[in-house]
Amino acid sequence: MTRSVRLAARQALLEQRSFWRSAEYALFTFAFPLMILLLIGAANVGSYLPGTHVKNTTVFVPSILAFGVIVAAYVNLGSKVAVLRHDGVLKRIKTTPLPSAAYLGGLLASTVATVVLITACTGLIGWLAFGAGPRPGGLPALTGGLVLGIVCFATLGLAISSVITSAESAGPIAYASFLPIAIISGVFDPTFGGLPQWMSRMVAAFPVKALAQLMQGAYTVRPFPAWDLVNLALWTAAGAGFVAWRFRWHS
Amino acid sequence: MTDTSVIDEVSPVVADGLAVQVRDLRMSYGSTEVLRGVDFDVRYGEVFCLLGPNGAGKTTTLEILEGFRRPTGGTVRVLGLNPAAQAARLRERVGMVLQECGFPRQARVAELIDIWRSYYPHPRPLGELLDVVELAEVRNTQVRKLSGGQRRRLDFALALAGDPDVVFLDEPTTGFDPEARRRCWAAIENLRRLGTTILLTTHYLDEAECLADRIAILQAGRIELAGTTHEVAARAGLATRVSFTTPSALRRGQVALPDGVGLAVRGPVSVCHTDNAAVTLRRLLDWAVENRLGDLDGLAVAAPSLEDTYLQLAGTDPDLETM
Repeated sequence: MTRSVRLAARQALLEQRSFWRSAEYALFTFAFPLMILLLIGAANVGSYLPGTHVKNTTVFVPSILAFGVIVAAYVNLGSKVAVLRHDGVLKRIKTTPLPSAAYLGGLLASTVATVVLITACTGLIGWLAFGAGPRPGGLPALTGGLVLGIVCFATLGLAISSVITSAESAGPIAYASFLPIAIISGVFDPTFGGLPQWMSRMVAAFPVKALAQLMQGAYTVRPFPAWDLVNLALWTAAGAGFVAWRFRWHS
Repeated sequence: MTDTSVIDEVSPVVADGLAVQVRDLRMSYGSTEVLRGVDFDVRYGEVFCLLGPNGAGKTTTLEILEGFRRPTGGTVRVLGLNPAAQAARLRERVGMVLQECGFPRQARVAELIDIWRSYYPHPRPLGELLDVVELAEVRNTQVRKLSGGQRRRLDFALALAGDPDVVFLDEPTTGFDPEARRRCWAAIENLRRLGTTILLTTHYLDEAECLADRIAILQAGRIELAGTTHEVAARAGLATRVSFTTPSALRRGQVALPDGVGLAVRGPVSVCHTDNAAVTLRRLLDWAVENRLGDLDGLAVAAPSLEDTYLQLAGTDPDLETM
């Protein structure tokens, strides 16, 4: 057991080194959420949510935290695993005595490290630029949101990797499968609303808004997010089921 | 799992001296029979080559030995283990080079070999691995910048990282230029010197002839022939070829053909095939002396080559018509 943990940690270190070695990839992973944070954040300075005393940025910054989690856990991990499978790296791992759990554990640990870094950057810049920080006593909610977000979206990332058949399409498919939902979920626009009923039902069914609202709960007081928690749990279960059914070590 | 149990299970096989045993191996995909009763053994410390054209079942055989596929019938043992049932234990002692298996794109050579070493209980030293595959100079290069030949040698290094007792190489030089092939062969020679048992597949005759101690020719899911290069050629029933430059007197018809050697005059060269080269040579030389033909110019005795055997099995040798 300890050996597996040690091996996973080593794998994670190698993954992180490789991640930062492809500078443009790492930069893009970080720059995309940060750019959106700064640009759209600046456009919302001084505005309040209609009929409240809650600043737009207080809701917007945690939404971008959720966005960062999804980029790192879903898009990056999903496309990474698809490329590893396509390149035959996963198959090669199967020729060694390394336990599968230790290898996947290493990939996940590296993903967690990326998520923590991206969250720290986004949170810090959101606080410095817009004065939006977690509310007093909001840290447990933030931590809980991060953990659930990583678990849910990393599982969905592994699931989507099994659908992607070529290395070239890995990134585009991963992004295209969540960006439209992120937009209609109002991740990029705190005042986004007035959707037709069928569309708001759809938004409520997907896990993007659920995670955004969990993160918002760390910044402003919200009612207990029962549905958001159930939503993420259901998506995690569905993703895990799909992974168990379709995950392959070779293409 | 205690060490004693490992030794108990392995020692009888060590006594047999067999690293790999294959008995009546059968494999079908649906109604297609890919392997139709394959038998062969690989002894400890030898380089064994499974030779055959594409689609003969080489890779399928290897994948069964590696534990990636469960055979439809027959038994296989690798180091005394059943690959399908004991894959985890097998992985610790077997190195595998599969066809077209990639590397993590951003990893560096030494870094990658090093993490591979961490997967095994008794890894080989990093420096030694780099030397065996001649990659010490590019140890800090990113894998994606390596040439095809260098990548294949990195394959070898990763397969060797755990100091395996057996190494499986699936078509190690397919698609390489001559220089890259030569360096690959050198790396395989280095492996042999380390005492590693090697089972390789190839469809190149020269590769089998150059590297293998023993060869099995796999054709349409069956072993057609097995043994050393010479044995394989001999067992194919091919005769030794004796040839010499046709003397001008013979060409002009001034001299009768010798009796009992089946000599055929093919323009400038005269050829005969025989199972007993010594007798044939004596008769030919006696005949030459009687007819004042002197020493036969360009006299050559050629043992049947692996290529003759292979081509005969494949049924594509036009020369055989004349025998």
